[in-house]
Amino acid sequence: MTTAATTTRARPQPKAIESLTRRLHDDYGDRAVTTQAVREQHSHGEGLADAALPDVVVFPHTNDEVAAIVRVCHAARIPVIAFGVGTSLEGHVAALYGGVCLDFSQMNRMLEVNDADLDCRVQAGVTREQLNAELKGTGLFFPIDPGANATIGGMASTRASGTNAVRYGTMRENVLGLTVVTADGRIVKTGGRARKSSAGYDLTRLLVGSEGTLGIITEVQLRLYGLPEAISAAVCQFPDLKSAVDTVIVAMQLGIPVARIELLDDVQMDACIRYSQLTEFAAKPTLFFEFHGSEAGVREQAETIESLAADHGGSRFQWATKPEDRSRLWKARHNAYYAALALAPGKQGFATDACVPISRLTDCVLETQADVVQTGLIAPIVGHVGDGNFHLVVLFDPASSDERAKAEALAARVGMRAIGMGGTCTGEHGVGMHKLDALVAEHGDAVTLMQAVKRALDPHDILNPGKTVPP
Amino acid sequence: MLDRAFTSALARVVPPTALLTAVEDTRPYECDGLTLYRELPGAVLLPDNEAQVVDILRLCHAARVPVVARGAGTSLSGGALPIAQGVVLSLAKFCRILAIDPLARTAIVQPGVRNLAISEAAAAHGLFYAPDPSSQIACSIGGNVAENAGGVHCLKYGLTVHNVRRVRAVLITGEIVEFGADALDAPGYDLLALITGSEGLLGIITEITVKLLPKPQLAQVALAAFDDLEQAGAAVGAVIGAGIIPGGLEMMDREATRAVEQFVHADYPLDAAAVLLVEADGTPLEVAAEMAEIIDVLKASGATEVRVSENEAERLLYWSGRKAAFPAVGRISPDYYCIDGTIPRAALPRVLRQIETWAREFGLPCANVFHAGDGNLHPLILFDANKPGDRERTIAFGDRILELCIDVGGTITGEHGVGVEKIAGMCAQFAPAELERFLGVKRAFDAEGLLNPGKAVPTLARCAEFGRMLVHEGRLAHPELPRF
Repeated sequence: MTTAATTTRARPQPKAIESLTRRLHDDYGDRAVTTQAVREQHSHGEGLADAALPDVVVFPHTNDEVAAIVRVCHAARIPVIAFGVGTSLEGHVAALYGGVCLDFSQMNRMLEVNDADLDCRVQAGVTREQLNAELKGTGLFFPIDPGANATIGGMASTRASGTNAVRYGTMRENVLGLTVVTADGRIVKTGGRARKSSAGYDLTRLLVGSEGTLGIITEVQLRLYGLPEAISAAVCQFPDLKSAVDTVIVAMQLGIPVARIELLDDVQMDACIRYSQLTEFAAKPTLFFEFHGSEAGVREQAETIESLAADHGGSRFQWATKPEDRSRLWKARHNAYYAALALAPGKQGFATDACVPISRLTDCVLETQADVVQTGLIAPIVGHVGDGNFHLVVLFDPASSDERAKAEALAARVGMRAIGMGGTCTGEHGVGMHKLDALVAEHGDAVTLMQAVKRALDPHDILNPGKTVPP
Repeated sequence: MLDRAFTSALARVVPPTALLTAVEDTRPYECDGLTLYRELPGAVLLPDNEAQVVDILRLCHAARVPVVARGAGTSLSGGALPIAQGVVLSLAKFCRILAIDPLARTAIVQPGVRNLAISEAAAAHGLFYAPDPSSQIACSIGGNVAENAGGVHCLKYGLTVHNVRRVRAVLITGEIVEFGADALDAPGYDLLALITGSEGLLGIITEITVKLLPKPQLAQVALAAFDDLEQAGAAVGAVIGAGIIPGGLEMMDREATRAVEQFVHADYPLDAAAVLLVEADGTPLEVAAEMAEIIDVLKASGATEVRVSENEAERLLYWSGRKAAFPAVGRISPDYYCIDGTIPRAALPRVLRQIETWAREFGLPCANVFHAGDGNLHPLILFDANKPGDRERTIAFGDRILELCIDVGGTITGEHGVGVEKIAGMCAQFAPAELERFLGVKRAFDAEGLLNPGKAVPTLARCAEFGRMLVHEGRLAHPELPRF
């Protein structure tokens, strides 16, 4: 863990805030809120406590309202921070220098669904679960699933991925276009419904993952997929971690289009068994699989993987074909973080987010596990191993500065190990305020360019200052 | 002409054979695949290592000499068109495949490597590189990245931007920068996506890590004939709307089918108003299931005939016409002009009908052969440059088509890039606020505007000059439509 980069930037003058707040109250009435409780609620995401309160929270309804607010902030040089539902893990939404928090929860309309083109347009505040509920009956779905019921705007801003990125990609692959409010309060559309374009620079992808520092995303055009004819999930348990990871590597090399592959080490499996009552399983290294396709295709994929797993000492598959069995399994996976925390009540936890080329995955996971054992900390491993991404949930006693330091050192080593293997320390959680140093370690000279891009698109540094790129 | 002191400085950083200044040597570089535009460069440089590229760019930066990068010169939008006062920097000697990692399924290659050469080298591991522009036997991977090239297989496997992991490039200042990472995702801004498709305006690419995919066990193609162009267009939407993403989904109209049949003799149905080629790939079971579904959808959409390839030779034969469409059209017409617009698939029937009507009005035959699944049109307007007025009418016809693409919510270039060809169209497609962002990005990389100036992104002043041509009666058509 690293802390936010040092900067000379200060919070705005109280007078400036006062006049801004008055104006926002006038324009937006009770949609501009300054109560302590609401400001606190908007001061942090999940993950480590790194709260910093915004001065005022506004709940906009339209692109024009967002643009108007940003214009006022731009003129007064006051920070603007976009807020979805606050599920980010790297301190993306903390208002480090105060300012206006734009809460998108009331911009949550579906704008269009184009069945024949397999795309849709939504306002940034639509959540992932809401989107899929609204798509019911169309035969389509939006697959990206980071676990949390995040907003689409937030997922686009952090370039989220999730358990089925191995098949469907990340937000990078699934955002076709955006409506964005620029730092000077203008409304710009990028990308669009055409499936490909080589006109102009790729502003869509530049903004996806920019964590609210280059523009405020207000609408998102998304790629949709036909619901697969058949879905089934299976669990396979292994005698040791290496066999489980090796199975994944071979499956990936063969290009089997598995929809999800999740690895849980013995500690994490133990935690999930207790927390989610998965009593039919043993506390052993485990892979969860999900297969999507035609009936025949799903059967074929599963048979191939089962025999690969058997070659590596894996158990027979335990199947979950009924929707309720499947959702119980994936719910257990999504709750892995809380299950890990429940292993040691009173301790706090944070997640690391390493991602390596798949050919280095076994080395990276095994070295990391050995490292964990060495530290004596509780830090189960769980991950979307199909794309080389895995997490440690590192637990530490908040009262013990020694243990916290140990935990942070472990996390730093995990990041550096991944970088050393040609990977990254942030596979899907983003940079936020915690990983600025790692960004420099990984990207070197490119950081200078990123800073230049930031200055070009936000010369006064009012958009989510202190995040994503070091000042 | 370049300054003599400057050329002698260049001569000190590259060997004598790598610096061409005589007109007879630079002539081959005067144009790329878009031969409508030509210009002799001040010099052509052929470095063979990155240190030379750094030295060259430093010299050009110090002397404020523009630099145009060039790969295989197959650009269809004039991306490699030289500048008289500048140098052409050819990457032709960067032609080595540096490494293939079959486990990570990646290849590290130099920019001058031919697209097809990557798949040929990867075949030993059962892998291939998916984006396959029709020029893949000749075009270079560096050019593919610079133009974000597409191809037949991009519908299922994505464009170049989806298939590149890491790019190493030299900035105009001579700084070496790496974009992206060998792992799935890289933190911070997605500069990799920014440099992909940047048409040589942001940096000179010196090394690329591409993703490789396992070769599908089986591929099969269905050839469907339609009596009616609009019906064929609707069938494309029906296939995708059924949730099928075929390995390839291409269309040829009657004009195109007749031209290619004389060339490849694939026994295409010559009476059909349009032919669709729909490919399924995967394991034999998957292919069987998907192909059955495809055939159902095609028949329900009004196909008069559906044939399915029975073996690999037949599959390649069905594709041969599509792949050879451009040279085939070149045989039947003295000149042709290839347009590259992309529209939402649902608009295909309307746009195809309109193009047909205009072809009659302009008196210019138009062959349509294109990536239907992506909605990426490639109308080929047939003309004779020696006939007075033909060239002007052709360009007017092409502009109409591109304006229509914008009108229906599409874009003026799907995969060929903007280059010099579509610089005016950029003003119609993008509003000033958007163009300003582009220019801001450009300044962040190349403040002096020395890399490939005059291409890809117009200045606002230039748009004001073009305004008369594309804005009718002082108003932009359909201002409410999303423009991007």
